[in-house]
Amino acid sequence: MRISEQAKIETRARILDKAAEIFTLKGFEDTTTRDIALAAGLATGTLFNYFPSKETLAMSMIAEAFREGSTDFLRRRNGKEDLAEELFLFIASGLRRLRPLRPFLGPVLERSLSPFPRKNICQEGETARLGHLDAVQKIIAGHGFTEAPDYVAMTMYWSLYLGILAFWTNDESPNQEESQSLIDYSIRMFVQVISGDVPDKGEVHAG
Amino acid sequence: MQVEDAGKVDSVEMKMLLDALPKGSVSDPSAQRLAHFISSISNNKVPVSSLSRIWTLGSLQARVTAGYFAYWLRSRFSDAEEKDRLKREAHLAAALKLFGTMGYLRGAVMKIGQMLANLPEVVPEEFAEVLSALHFEAPPMHYSLVREVFLDEFDREPEEMFASFDQQAFAAASLGQVHRARLHSGEEVAVKIQYPGIARTIKADLRNLRLLLQPLCLAIDWQDTLAKLADIERMLLMETDYAQEAVFGKLARSTFTASDRVVVPQVYVEFSTKRVLTTEYLQGCHLDEYLAGNPAQAERDHFTHLLTVATYRLYYRLHWLPADPHPGNFIFMADGRLGIIDFGCTLALSDEDWIFSNEAIQAALDRDLPGLNRSIAKACRFDDPDDMEPDHLDVIRQGFYWFMEPWQQEGIFDFGDRDFFLRGINNVIEATRKGYTRSVPMTIWSNRFTFGGRAFCYKLKGRCEFRKIFLQEWQHQ
Ligand SMILES: Nc1ncnc2c1ncn2[C@@H]1O[C@H](COP(=O)(O)OP(=O)(O)OP(=O)(O)O)[C@@H](O)[C@H]1O
Repeated sequence: MRISEQAKIETRARILDKAAEIFTLKGFEDTTTRDIALAAGLATGTLFNYFPSKETLAMSMIAEAFREGSTDFLRRRNGKEDLAEELFLFIASGLRRLRPLRPFLGPVLERSLSPFPRKNICQEGETARLGHLDAVQKIIAGHGFTEAPDYVAMTMYWSLYLGILAFWTNDESPNQEESQSLIDYSIRMFVQVISGDVPDKGEVHAG
Repeated sequence: MQVEDAGKVDSVEMKMLLDALPKGSVSDPSAQRLAHFISSISNNKVPVSSLSRIWTLGSLQARVTAGYFAYWLRSRFSDAEEKDRLKREAHLAAALKLFGTMGYLRGAVMKIGQMLANLPEVVPEEFAEVLSALHFEAPPMHYSLVREVFLDEFDREPEEMFASFDQQAFAAASLGQVHRARLHSGEEVAVKIQYPGIARTIKADLRNLRLLLQPLCLAIDWQDTLAKLADIERMLLMETDYAQEAVFGKLARSTFTASDRVVVPQVYVEFSTKRVLTTEYLQGCHLDEYLAGNPAQAERDHFTHLLTVATYRLYYRLHWLPADPHPGNFIFMADGRLGIIDFGCTLALSDEDWIFSNEAIQAALDRDLPGLNRSIAKACRFDDPDDMEPDHLDVIRQGFYWFMEPWQQEGIFDFGDRDFFLRGINNVIEATRKGYTRSVPMTIWSNRFTFGGRAFCYKLKGRCEFRKIFLQEWQHQ
């Protein structure tokens, strides 16, 4: 008997749901694929048909959150933002979608998004990274930076972003408010660096 | 970034700093070390020096301030044993380093600098006073950040909550900024939003600063100073919780009726949290703008009357000392009403302090000299007036008489009188010069309450029937 496409999609969604529950409960490291298969009512072998590894599974959730975050961003953007503000909105929208995954995100991101050379590149992770950077390039281009931002700018951005993610997964302040302030400062710094826009000392307060 | 020769700039600034320090310090090697140290922390350049929101003690004024402050602190333990002194200097260095990173205190540092430039010797209480007067300066927020704060606080975007919401702030607040908005029910409101995480940062910094200063033991009255610092810390932290401010605002509002012509804006609780405060928008202007319109004397008198009624109403009914005389807290409304908008820095007197505060006033009103002397001794933390040097008692009593002048004069009192105002200032300067500054913590607030109010009315050049007002408020408390 052939399993219908519909059933496949449902099973996949169920696996992701259950996995999120168990990751949150036991942490990413201590969860096995067997635990997940069991919770989803599947044989471990069947689970592998859907996700080749625990990392891919977790990274799929993250990639999905990234996609949702991007959609939110496009919906929320009002077109009046300056570059720093728009980048902030982009990052903040993504983090808001990632928030439910925060309890187990640290080790996943460390493995899948690490900027260091690795033996096994996580394909889901790589896709998510490229998608994110592509969106950032579009935002930057939208603000009149005609030359494609080179690898320096993008590497800087990615390092900042990973730093933000690392801080955020560890942030104990209410609603991760300290991360918000970190993002704010980081983005401003980034924008000033890439735009070479270094106004004089002193600061003008809004209003 | 600047491309000047960093070393050269450094040495020029170093010399200016040393020049600015009190005489005698320049030849002292340990003062040199300290000046060097201060110069170096204040030179710690952030890679992007103009990164507008990261402040350092960059300006010369701030540097001189830190220099003076360090010098004063150091002079307190200059005759200590070498080993002990080094230990304390290390503590001091750590405290200054922390102080140097507290960018939201930039304004305060400037203020201390101004004060230090004008006075030959600094005393701890003065520093405490300045700290109590300080205003934080939060970085400005763009609208995207404001939206995130809203999602976290209310789970909704500003546009969903309000019929309209100005994306641009119309005023700066010490911990954030204020936006105009309109409720779905039609009311115009002011929405004050706190910069994320700033309250936590301030809390942690202040605590660390106090802990670092604690073991310094700089003066005989060091414990007194620390107690005051702790008190100030408590008051500053009140400002960080808008829910607390809302409670104060509601209480204050309930003590005025329409015929008082004093308004405290209504708080909209369903649009307020610890970090967001939504209040009725009061249309009007602040003192400077008001004065620029060259108002007639009768109008000035009118607002002086309202201000006096307002502050003494709060004092007698609620036992409050609204100790934030910042002109931004008062709004001159076109229809002649006076708006009061901020209760972030209000001391609610304990019963004990309240009784004590009135005893002194009563003694002065009754011209009961022994009673007044007893109150003064107590305020200065002496058991008995006889324990005080006669001159000390005399100077503080003169100050109190000055405070009581309006209370004793029948009819109109002119707060715009320059002589009157100057006499008050001179008394404070004399007391400070002579080191007569030991006092119970409450006096920081009562001094600010008095001087703040009087400075405001002096600028306003206003008059009112002070005695009549106080008697009225006193009888109806
Ligand atoms: N209800 C209001 N109506 C009109 N203007 C307001 C209102 N609330 C605040 N403002 C404006 O915003 C400014 C800052 O508000 P507020 O004084 O409450 O901020 P704060 O920083 O917490 O207080 P402070 O700076 O005195 O410590 C005010 O000086 C005023 O110009």
